[in-house]
Amino acid sequence: MIDILYFARVAELTGKRTEQMPLPAPVSVAQWLTQLNTTYPALKDIRVLKVAVNKKHALPDALIHDRDEVALFEPVTGG
Amino acid sequence: MITIQEADFDAGQLIRQLHERSQGHAGAVASFIGYVRDYSPSQPTQELFLEHYPGMCEQELNDIEAQAAQRWNVIDSTIVHRVGALTRQQQIVFVGIASAHRGDAFHACEFIMDALKTRAPFWKRETLADGKAFWVQARESDTQRIEKWTKTDQTSDPVIKQLEDHK
Repeated sequence: MIDILYFARVAELTGKRTEQMPLPAPVSVAQWLTQLNTTYPALKDIRVLKVAVNKKHALPDALIHDRDEVALFEPVTGG
Repeated sequence: MITIQEADFDAGQLIRQLHERSQGHAGAVASFIGYVRDYSPSQPTQELFLEHYPGMCEQELNDIEAQAAQRWNVIDSTIVHRVGALTRQQQIVFVGIASAHRGDAFHACEFIMDALKTRAPFWKRETLADGKAFWVQARESDTQRIEKWTKTDQTSDPVIKQLEDHK
């Protein structure tokens, strides 16, 4: 299982802030995003999706492992 | 020192505390404050809601502070970022740098703000006076500003180097 966190507009589009999903085998961030887009077609409205794995920004080829904390959000707009 | 809070902050007090922590070693303190501004002249902003990723925010800001300290002379620094519901003209963020000299203080302060804008997981939701609400979109200009720090080493810039040498 992985713990998923959704933030800001992504949380609005998925309709939830957190959830758990099974992860039978490690996948790349890019592969995982493709799967998630199937689960949540509304995410297609978002031009750029960013992923953090265990609270660190992750590139599309980074691997997601079982028990990771995976966060999904739009490019940040603080400051 | 990194703080993420809902409450407002007293910038004068933060600057004084930062200077006191430097125990007389700082000849310069540079600071920056970011405020809630109107979305456009015709569309006043009524509320700015700031969401954040607890834990990751602190980690990113710590890392940004450490990078600044590696690159410039930084005796101590303070970052305060507010979250939650903010209204027009309120303060959002404070960055303060205590350094031996002003050049390092200015550069480190600007670098921290540029890095924070593109890396620290905060998101702004804007509500305009007419009730229209939307999530603020990241700007390309912010990405360009942080890229400039990786492209040119400020200290090897001939003009800046010359000025630093004559201080």
